[in-house]
Amino acid sequence: MMNNKYKILIIEDDRNIRNIMISLLETADYQVICADSCGAGKTLYRSHNPDVVILDLGLPDMDGMNFLKFVREDSLTPIIVLSARTDDMDKVTALDEGANDYVTKPFSSAELLARIRTALRNYRQSAGGKALGGVFKQRDLTIVYDARQVFIGQNEIRLSQTEYNIVALLSENCGKMMTYASIIKGIWGYSDEGSIKKLQVNMANIRKKFGVRPGEKWYISNELGVGYRMNGVNEI
Amino acid sequence: MKPKKILKGILISVLLLGIATALSTQFQKWGVQELITTIFVFAVFLISLFTDGFIYGVVSSVVGMFLINFVFTYPYFELNFIKPRNLISAVIMLAVAVITGVLVTKIKRHEAIKAENERERMRANLLRAVSHDLRTPLTTIYSASTMLKENSEALNKQQRTQMLGSIQEEAQWLVRMVENLLLVTRIDNSTIKINKTPIILDELIDSVVTKFSAQHPSQKINLLLPEEIVIIPMDSILIEQVIRNLLENAVFHAKGMTMITLKVYTEGDRAVFEVSDDGAGIEEGKLKKIFTGNYGDRKDTSRREKRFAGIGLSVCATIIKAHGGTITAQNLETGGALFKFTLEKENSPDDE
Repeated sequence: MMNNKYKILIIEDDRNIRNIMISLLETADYQVICADSCGAGKTLYRSHNPDVVILDLGLPDMDGMNFLKFVREDSLTPIIVLSARTDDMDKVTALDEGANDYVTKPFSSAELLARIRTALRNYRQSAGGKALGGVFKQRDLTIVYDARQVFIGQNEIRLSQTEYNIVALLSENCGKMMTYASIIKGIWGYSDEGSIKKLQVNMANIRKKFGVRPGEKWYISNELGVGYRMNGVNEI
Repeated sequence: MKPKKILKGILISVLLLGIATALSTQFQKWGVQELITTIFVFAVFLISLFTDGFIYGVVSSVVGMFLINFVFTYPYFELNFIKPRNLISAVIMLAVAVITGVLVTKIKRHEAIKAENERERMRANLLRAVSHDLRTPLTTIYSASTMLKENSEALNKQQRTQMLGSIQEEAQWLVRMVENLLLVTRIDNSTIKINKTPIILDELIDSVVTKFSAQHPSQKINLLLPEEIVIIPMDSILIEQVIRNLLENAVFHAKGMTMITLKVYTEGDRAVFEVSDDGAGIEEGKLKKIFTGNYGDRKDTSRREKRFAGIGLSVCATIIKAHGGTITAQNLETGGALFKFTLEKENSPDDE
């Protein structure tokens, strides 16, 4: 049944990368539509209403950011940015403009598929309301929002107020890459020169309280210079 | 020209002219008039030598000329250009000032050109080495993929897997190479600009080790980190690359290596990073110029790992130097190699 498949729109001007992604996604049982320019992408987006968009930032006719703004005017459709740029600023700008996640070229097929699954899952969750009884659960991690408690298995992890706020904020946006700026805005409301440092210190302490050593796989992944992300189910 | 430089020029001129005047007064007392002109010519020569451009030398020679004429020659305290002797000494001094100025400027320009040439030569060598190094993995990728496409049926499953494996491996190598080259272009300007932001050590190590483990899942790293929170101002992309290069270096070059240790500790106002392994160590001959990236004369280009090490380590050295730190390599007595670099850390972290 064609209609049961998730529809993914790929906007990418390089033919080879496009072909590889089409094969990859079709094998993974998605329905794929393609555009090779920003303009064509907009048209296809309007006519097909895809579930996820994979967007290359360097397009021949317009910058991919243009498409990002176009979609975010009236929709929350997950957008995963694909970028050859290694500069952090581009990632941060794209995320702040509303992209859900980014994948840097060159990427592995497993990585891209995982990001797509996470994006889809979050979108469904947020569309269906986030009630879930005020509890966030993922594997061993449980967050009880009303009581402001965090558990690993049966053990409570005692976090400070700020630390709890950070973990809660990331869990509410599970799967989405949150930039430093967006976390700081959510936690402190204002930002100054030392904010990022303050956030990093808190995160280092959170990691310690969870008993996780740097480099160990964990619920929160750290993209230095960009931000943090609560990992989706399939990504740990 | 910068105000500081101008001030320095003026100071040198005034100082040397002052000394010349003082000496001349002394000589005049002793009655050795003939030497006075020589002293001023010498002073003007020194001024032209130690200052930039002509202006200080020329002005000094004019001042000196007036001083000699006014103070030290008959009629005293009176300007007199009628006497041919005075006129000649004035002309000589001006000529000395101008000629020295021209020569000095020429030499300085020549040195600048030489330095520029040296940089160009380095760049050309790097480019040559790189394009040569790129060809090897590209050959593998190209021929393997061609075969897979055209003779797919003739190959058995194991052969196909093996070819795909080498395509993947070579592609990953190219990725690492390109990342390093990008960093070189980022810092290889005459004015090295490093954009430092305060980074928490744990976050840096977390990011590095996560990326490293994704590339080398089977390689464990023994982490020894300080308990307290350490904050280091740095360009985190660059420092991350340095640590990754050092770790990967150990993976690819330390023969017989089983364990990599990444240790960080503080020493005064510095953070010390140590990457060590228990492999075969570095050959003594290579140890000295291991960071210079000796791209020109590599006869043993059969092993690509060797070639990569050159570029990777010279990138590390450039990055650390640009941060104002130091980097060293040595062999351990227990076997294996130790790479060590230091960075200045922030004094005390203000917790919340």
